[in-house]
Order: sequence, then C-alpha cells, then structure tokens
Amino acid sequence: MSTTTPSSDDAGTATGHPTVAPAGQSAYFSGDVEAKALGLYRILREDGTLVEGEHVNVDREQALRMYRGMLTIRIMDERLLALQRQGRTGFYGESRGQEAAIVGSAAATAPQDWIVPALREAGVGIYRGMPMNSYVAQIFGNGEDPSKGRQMPCHPCDKDTNYVVMSSVVASQIPHAVGIAWGMKILGDTDKVCVGYMGDGATSEADFHVAINFAGVSKAACVLICQNNQWAISTPGSIQTAAETIAIKGCGYGVESLRADGNDIFAVHEVTRYAVEKARAGGGPTFIELLTYRVSAHSSSDDPSRYRDESVTDVWRDDRDPLSRARVFLEHRGWLDLGQHDEYVAAIEKRVREVIATEEAKAPPALDTLIEDVFEEPTWLLQEQLAEYLRTQ
Amino acid sequence: MPTMNIIQAVNDALRIQMTAESKMVILGEDVGKFGGVFRATSGLHDEFGADRVIDTPLSEAGIIGTAIGMALYGVRPVPEIQFSDFIFPAFDQIVNELAKFRYRSGGQYPCPVVIRTPYGGGIRGGHYHSQSPEVMFIHTPGIKVVIPSNPYDAKGMLLSCLRQDDPVLFMEPKRIYRASRGEVPTEDYTVELGKAKVTREGEQVTLIGYGAMMPIIHEAAKKADEQGISCECIDLRTLMPFDLETMVASVTKTGRAVVVHEAPKTAGFGGELVASICERAMQHLEAPIQRVCGFDTPFPYVLEHEYMPNANRVLGAIRQTLEW
Amino acid sequence: MSFSFHLPDIGEGVIEGEVVQWKVAEGDKIALDQPMVEIMTDKATVEIPSPRAGTIAKINFAEGEICPVGDVLVVIAVEGEAAESAPVAAPAPAKTSKAPNGNGHHAPAAVSNVAGVPAVVPEVIDATATRGRVLATPATRRHARAMQIDITKVPGTGRNGRVTTDDLKNWTSGGAPAAAPATSSSMVHVPQQHTPVAIERVGNEERIPFRGMRRRIAENMSRSKFTATHFTYVEEVDCTDLVSLRNRSKERAAERGVKLTYLPFFVKAIVASLKKWPQLNASLDESTNEIVRKHYYHIGLAAQGPHGLVVTVLRNADQLSIFGIANEIQRLADAVQSGTATRDDLTGSTFTISSLGKLGGVMATPIINFPEVGIVGVHKLEQRPAVRDGEIVARWLMNLSISLDHRLVDGWDGAMFLQDVKTLLEDPNLMFMEMI
Repeated sequence: MSTTTPSSDDAGTATGHPTVAPAGQSAYFSGDVEAKALGLYRILREDGTLVEGEHVNVDREQALRMYRGMLTIRIMDERLLALQRQGRTGFYGESRGQEAAIVGSAAATAPQDWIVPALREAGVGIYRGMPMNSYVAQIFGNGEDPSKGRQMPCHPCDKDTNYVVMSSVVASQIPHAVGIAWGMKILGDTDKVCVGYMGDGATSEADFHVAINFAGVSKAACVLICQNNQWAISTPGSIQTAAETIAIKGCGYGVESLRADGNDIFAVHEVTRYAVEKARAGGGPTFIELLTYRVSAHSSSDDPSRYRDESVTDVWRDDRDPLSRARVFLEHRGWLDLGQHDEYVAAIEKRVREVIATEEAKAPPALDTLIEDVFEEPTWLLQEQLAEYLRTQ
Repeated sequence: MPTMNIIQAVNDALRIQMTAESKMVILGEDVGKFGGVFRATSGLHDEFGADRVIDTPLSEAGIIGTAIGMALYGVRPVPEIQFSDFIFPAFDQIVNELAKFRYRSGGQYPCPVVIRTPYGGGIRGGHYHSQSPEVMFIHTPGIKVVIPSNPYDAKGMLLSCLRQDDPVLFMEPKRIYRASRGEVPTEDYTVELGKAKVTREGEQVTLIGYGAMMPIIHEAAKKADEQGISCECIDLRTLMPFDLETMVASVTKTGRAVVVHEAPKTAGFGGELVASICERAMQHLEAPIQRVCGFDTPFPYVLEHEYMPNANRVLGAIRQTLEW
Repeated sequence: MSFSFHLPDIGEGVIEGEVVQWKVAEGDKIALDQPMVEIMTDKATVEIPSPRAGTIAKINFAEGEICPVGDVLVVIAVEGEAAESAPVAAPAPAKTSKAPNGNGHHAPAAVSNVAGVPAVVPEVIDATATRGRVLATPATRRHARAMQIDITKVPGTGRNGRVTTDDLKNWTSGGAPAAAPATSSSMVHVPQQHTPVAIERVGNEERIPFRGMRRRIAENMSRSKFTATHFTYVEEVDCTDLVSLRNRSKERAAERGVKLTYLPFFVKAIVASLKKWPQLNASLDESTNEIVRKHYYHIGLAAQGPHGLVVTVLRNADQLSIFGIANEIQRLADAVQSGTATRDDLTGSTFTISSLGKLGGVMATPIINFPEVGIVGVHKLEQRPAVRDGEIVARWLMNLSISLDHRLVDGWDGAMFLQDVKTLLEDPNLMFMEMI
C-alpha cells in the first residue's frame, strides 16, 4: 500500500482528500435519476470561472497537486508520442484533452482502493504513485518492466498501488472491476472501493452490460467511470449508441448514473468523490460518464483527419482545454503564482526526459522469461519448447 | 469406505475445501439455493451461506469476469458454467483475460479461478447440452484442463485444483455423473495433477482416453481380451499439462495405440496425442495410431449413440492396429 | 558525429512513407524533438520530431518522394557525439538477448549470433538415402538394426510385400550372412569405391533422388559386374520343331489347365545341360574359398515386374515335368502380382534365365545374378531366313546370349553347355529320350 501522506514529488503523485464538505452537496446530486444521467455536472465554466452556486471542494495543495498531475500527463504524452514517431518505441496512446477526467477521478481515490484501467488511465496510476520509471519501462518493454516486456506499450501494471494490468480487449476489464469490489465485500474489506474505467466504445460491448448488471445485483463497492471522449477510433458517439447519453444506459441496470463535464477538474473530482464515499459507506455502485473529447488521435497508428472534422477538434483543443481552464481559475484564485506553471513544466519535462533516457538504455528481458508466468511453474512442455529453440540457435 | 458417484465426490470436495479455506466462494447459475442443476453444489448454500455460495444473474461472461476480479483481489472463486456448451459467452474472459493475467502482469496478478463445468454427450441433450470443447482450452496457454473419469479421481483432483494457484477448467463427464460409482475416502486427500493412470495392464495395444470414454475403453479391452488380445488402458486425467511419459512408456511396450475421445475427430486432442507419441515412440510403432472420435458434426440428438465412440468401434480400431 | 535517422515503422506494419513536408532544410540547426518532417503513410500522416539536436546534414528523400521503412531519411550532424548509425551489437550470453539499437528495434532474442559471422549451413543428412525401398513398420526397422540385418536384402512376406519381424528372424536363421564383410579373404578385388562424380548443372535437366529400388538394383549390378569376370557367348537356335511341338501341345495343356509357353522347354533344356556341366550350377564361397557345385536346380526367372526387375525362383526344376514347370511359372507370376511371393519364391536360384524376347534384339550381355555363375538371355523367337541343304528357307530362329563368370567357367565349358541346350531345343525328342 502506498502512504497516505502526500509525497513531496513535484509531479503530483499523491492521493488523499482534504477535509472539506462531504461530497454531493451540489444541487446536481439531488436531481432525479434521469436528470442526473442526462445532465452535465459542472463547477468550472469553460472560461475558468465558477458556475453559480458551485464551490471548489478542494484546498490549494490538492488543487495544485491535481494541476501538476494533469501537466505530467500532458508532457509525458508529448515525449512518449515523439519516441514512437522516432521509431524508438512501437506504439503510444495519448490522452490529450482528457487530463482532467483522469486526474480528477484519481485524486478522489484512497491508496487502498483498486484501479481497473482502460487505455487512457495510466495517468491515474502515475497520480496514485505508480513509478514513472515502471510505466516507461513497460513502454520500452525492457528487462525492468514488471510485466517482462510481454505486452505492447501502454499496458502498465503496478501491484503496489493496486493498478491492475489491462488487456487490449475493450470492456473485458469492467466485470473484473465489479468482481474485485465484490471480493472486497466477501472478504469484509469494507473500507475499500474499486474504480473501473472504460471509454464510450466499451459501453457497446457485452461485457459492459454484463458487468454493470452484476454491479447492480451484487451492490458491490465499485465506481464505473466512462471517459466519453466521443470517439472510438473513427466511430463517433452518434454511431456508437442511440441512447441520449452514456450515463442513461446505467439507469436500466438499477445503478445510480451520473454525468459530469470531464474537462472540469473540480467537477470530475467531486462526482468521483461522491461515488467513492457512497461505495465506501456501503451504498453500492455508481456509474459515471465524464464528457470530454479525444483531442489526439486514437493512437500512434491513427490519423483522425481522415474521418473527422478537425475544426471541431480545434475548438476542444484551444477553447476547452482542461489545463487552461484550471490554470485560469488557479491563477485567478491566487493559488498558482505567476511563473509557477513554467516552473512546473520545466521540472516535469526534465524528470520525464531523465526517466526516458534511463529506461531506453536498459536491455530487454532475458529469453528464459518467455516461458515464465504462463503457470506458476513452467510445464515440461514449455521447458522442452525452450530447449528446442536453444538447440537451433 | 463409502461408495460415491461423481456428483457426490465433487460435492464432497467442494465442502471440504469450503470448510478449509474461508476465502473460497462458489458462484454460478442455480448453484446456491437450488444446489445446481446436477446437484453438484447441493447443501452448500445452507451450510456456507448466500454470501459464499452465490446465485448469479444469467451471464457466463459475468460469472467468469467477476470471478476473475474476485481472484485478483484474493478470493478463491469456483465458478460453475452450467453446461460447457454455454461456456462460449465467457470464452473471451477465459482466453484473453483469465489465462493471461499472470503472464501479462509478470506474475504480479495470478488468477486462481477453478471453473467447473459438465461436458460431453449421452444424456439426450442434442447440440447444446452435449459438447466437448476441451481442445479449445488446451490450446490456450495459461489454463490447465482436468477431466476425471471416476469419483475417486474427481474428488482428489478437484481438491488439488482448488489448492493450486493457476486457472483450471475442471470438466466433469456428465454422462457418468451418477453411473460412475466407486469407493471414495471421506477424508481429505488429493490426486496429483499432470499424471495419467494405467487402469489396466496389457501387452499388445495401448488404449488412451479420458472422462466418459474410460468405461468404453475398459469395455473394449474386456472384449478384446475375450478374443485373445491384451490391451493396456490409460486414463489421461489431466489434459493440460498431459502426461506424455506414461503414454510413451506404454506404447514403447505395446507398439500400438488407439486414442478415444468423443469430441469431433478433426483437430481434436487426439491429433496432439498422436503427434506427441510419434515424436517419442516412432521406432516402436507396429502400426499407425488410431483415433476413435466423435464425427465432425454438431452433436446429434437421435443418433447420439452412433455419434459417440462405443466399444465396437474401439475394438475395430484395436484390430486395425493388429492387422495393419 | 553524424546520426543517420532511419524511417521507422510508424504505424504497425507500414512499409514506406511519402514525404509530405520538410520543416527544415539542409544546413539548418535543429533542436531535440523539434518538428522535423511530415510523413504520410497508408494509416496516418504524422509529424516526426527530431531525435537529436544538431544540424541537418543530408536530406535523402525530398517532398513527394517515397522513403521505405528502414532507409536513412535524414542525417543529422550532432555535436560532440560519436557516430552511431549502426545497431548496437551486444555480446549475448546464452540466455539473454541483445540491447535495442538506436532506432528502438529490439534485436530478436538470439543466442550468441555475433554480427558479421556468416551462418553455418548445416549439412542435411537424409537417413533414408542409403536404404532400399523396403516396406516395413518402424518397429521392424528397429529390430533389423538391432539384429544388424540390412533390411533391404530381406524379402518381405507381410502384407503388400512388407518385411516382417518374422522375415528378419528367418533371414538370420536360414539365409545368407546379413552383410557381406567389407574386407573378405577372397582374392577378388571389389573396386566399388571411387571418388563420387559430380554432375554440373549445365542446362535443362531433371534431378531425381537416387535411392530405393533403383539404388538397390545399381548396387547389385555393380557388385556382380565387378566381382564376376563376365564373358558372353551367343548362339542361334533353330526352334522350328519346338514351335510345332508347342503348338500341337497347347490345347492338350489347356485341357489340363496349363498355360504352355516356351519357357518350360527352355528350363528343361537348361537343367539337363547343367547336369552335364556342373561347374555352371555353382557358386564361389568367398569366405571359405570353396567352389560349391549344387546338386539342386533352382532356376531363376528374371522378368520385368510392376516395380522393376523381379527374379522368381523355380525350385527343383529337375523334379518337375514340363507341365509342372509351366504351372509353377504361372504360380510364381501370380504370387508376384498379388504380393504373396514367399522368400523361397524369390531367393535361392542356382542359375538364371532372363527372358528378353519382348525386347527384340539379337544379342545381349546379361549381368549374372550374383553369386551364380551363369545367366542365359533368351531373345525373340521369330521366323528368319536360314540355309538348309543349300536352300534358303524360313525357320523359327531364336538367339541365346549366355554370360558366365570366367573365374569358375572356362570358355570351352560355357560354349559346350550352350551347344547342349541348343541341341535339345532344336530336337525336342532328345529331351524326351534323355528324361528319366
């Protein structure tokens, strides 16, 4: 378990919530089932000013920590995508434009909670203490990668911070999130919650429906978060579902379903906090849709200009950027000093480059790791197969 | 020593381990209050409670998917898939998730799930209550496949499965759930996984099979004996990893072999066994190894017994190896 | 000093990219990660940031040109760094793999494959090359090896002509020694080894593997020809009387279920002559240096079978009547056809007849069926002009070519033997009168 005290890491990697008002005070949470699922909870407007009647339910330290967390993702993405373009790694999936959804939700979890990520939640892991070296080691697949170079990049794993490694199959992780939460219940660990993430496309997969149904029936302490970035590679939300929102789908399973502006760091944090506290108190599962936009391509193999109107993307990139929105608020509130943003950027960039340089230099995993971990012990079949390979080399 | 059938043996194993391991949980459709459609979990719901013997919604993907989550967390889940014909909605969870968690996490996330499922034909179940899909899982690295043929092995092997940390598909031969009876100790014991058993010694032909085919094989061996042919019988018991050594030792002695399984012939597990045995024992072979299997058709209803291997077909194959 | 940037596979299986736009020109300074060039692939148009800080030294592909993945797209002069365009070669202990090279492509987890060492092409050894085309189960082959029997020598009595383990047992108990000793005490020099001849590929040709039956025949023929000192003697035989005898007798024979050809007469004539010339019904035992004159008469009948040359053995030909011989010939032919010929049917001849009639021709130099010492080739029986009492008449004539092993058979004996055969065939009544 990682410590509950915040680390002094400049990149903002600690969790824990300040002592502020309990979550769910906003009028949004008193709405009826449909209102919550069809609405859009927001605290910060796009121009960085507060919505009437809303409050920021974090203190300065937490806010800056979250801000640095978003910056970390932004800078990491830039550098790691560049690596792929330069042929130094094989693949990368950016999360540009979704930093608030990632960090805001991560910040609302406690160290003992479990995370079941999809593709764009590495930032959740890093925020909660997954070592950046470990993340980058997995991207290179070097010998220090905890997963021993077995999966393609962006499939990190960190047992210490309860970050569960994903596969590349969409939505298959959602039943796992429910099962983990159910397991917590079975073993009597009532202070723990499992947060499972997914994208909008995942909500079309059978496993989403299976999982959320089980969540409702089991009343497990899970929070299922959909980062609706409105694109599944080239498939826009309008083709993905006829439902009015993603959140409304959850209502059909008897699970409280909320919807928030995913680019509003404080709304994301607050709505997740509400769901996590509710689960921890035995209130069962919550489904949260965070509306955001995938400013980047789906991955390094993708070119969105071939299938979407990039002038729409430009609006989201320039006018709705979660970092800018937060920065305006923080500087206006006096929580972020002038020049502090640049300091953060420089420090984070330096750190990221150091990590990349270190991890890139390391050798790949040894050959005999190939047959490890298929089972607890390699079978005679695997040993024979490896021996046959060695004989021919 | 009491006599049990396979159902009772399975039930006994589950009870023993539920008592010994507080983290063990059983889940599936109709397994709780109802005790399972084959009564394999009968009485466990009353004894251990609804929190540990769980009736789930009707969703194989959900049963296995949530079981995976539970296992990741530290629970020891034992999900039941009501008929192996219905395992396919969970196929992705088994193949892409369950079988690969330990590997893709570099050992950080082992996934100890033991999936129990009845398989095989002979109960007038037609296409969708009779399938033998074992080969699809044998072919998936990361999952063990265990198939008992009798109550003693069923109890002992199930207990072994429940006490190790790799994913297992424990396939129960439903045709002989009740017909197979034998002495089973009441106490706790295990039968080693990965070890085949020579159930009858012989000199001329080796008969290899598993599950509900063992009674067929034994019947054929008996008939062969009446005709002066001495057969050695091997019950594989674990299909992944399989015990090649025992098979090779036998075929080295006899020079002839017949593999029997009710799953369809083409690309069935028999092909793997023939290839592996040939790799090691080729120079001892007096004849090609024969396979007696189900037809390459969906499992029929009326022609069920023609479809499944019977003693006469096995005997025919035995003779073929001798007269070749 | 200079860094060569190879275009990477930027899109999972892309093989080339088109240069859309250079953001820099040769000579420009460039910072690390500064946008350098836009490349368009099937999958995406991407911007590549510079992997090094320095100066653009050389642009190899202009806008609009297609750069294959792996080719050097641009060379950057880097300040203060050693040249590094080649992949990093790492020493590789048995189980570890190489470090990734500068372009991030992981070398395959190879074991001790030092760059620059040409791969050794292993020699392929075909274990079946020296084996004859013998049908036998793997188990039987193993027994043969254990018993040190050359399985190609053993006639098969199993199904489809397979050699069975019983055949092996019989072979060792009753038959010839398993393998001829490589160096025997015989006076005979067997020059079978010579430097293998290589045939250069020059033009249009077909290459067929030299093994199986063909190879076995070759070995047998070589052995015979290089051991027995062959000489051949040819004589013409007037079979006119024989022809009318046979034609008269054909129907009688058929009534008794006998298919009467000329072959039984040849066999009879030869057997009668062999009794007079015992040195032709003999073999040289090289292990004891003894000439073995046999008092049994097993006549080998060489013919072209479905799979090649087959010699069936008509045993104890001296104890069979003409009809008996005819029947036996038929039985042997049927046995070969059906694959039920026994070892006795196929081995043990003491003298061989080779029927060459169908081939036409007037003379041949047949190769002796080693270790016998004589073989008679029977040519076409046809009407040809002959001179009788000063007149040219049409007679049924046939040539006989006999090859003999001069080590045991003198020219005189060989010629006289054939003359005796000729005499009997030209006047079949003599055969009748000499019969016991």
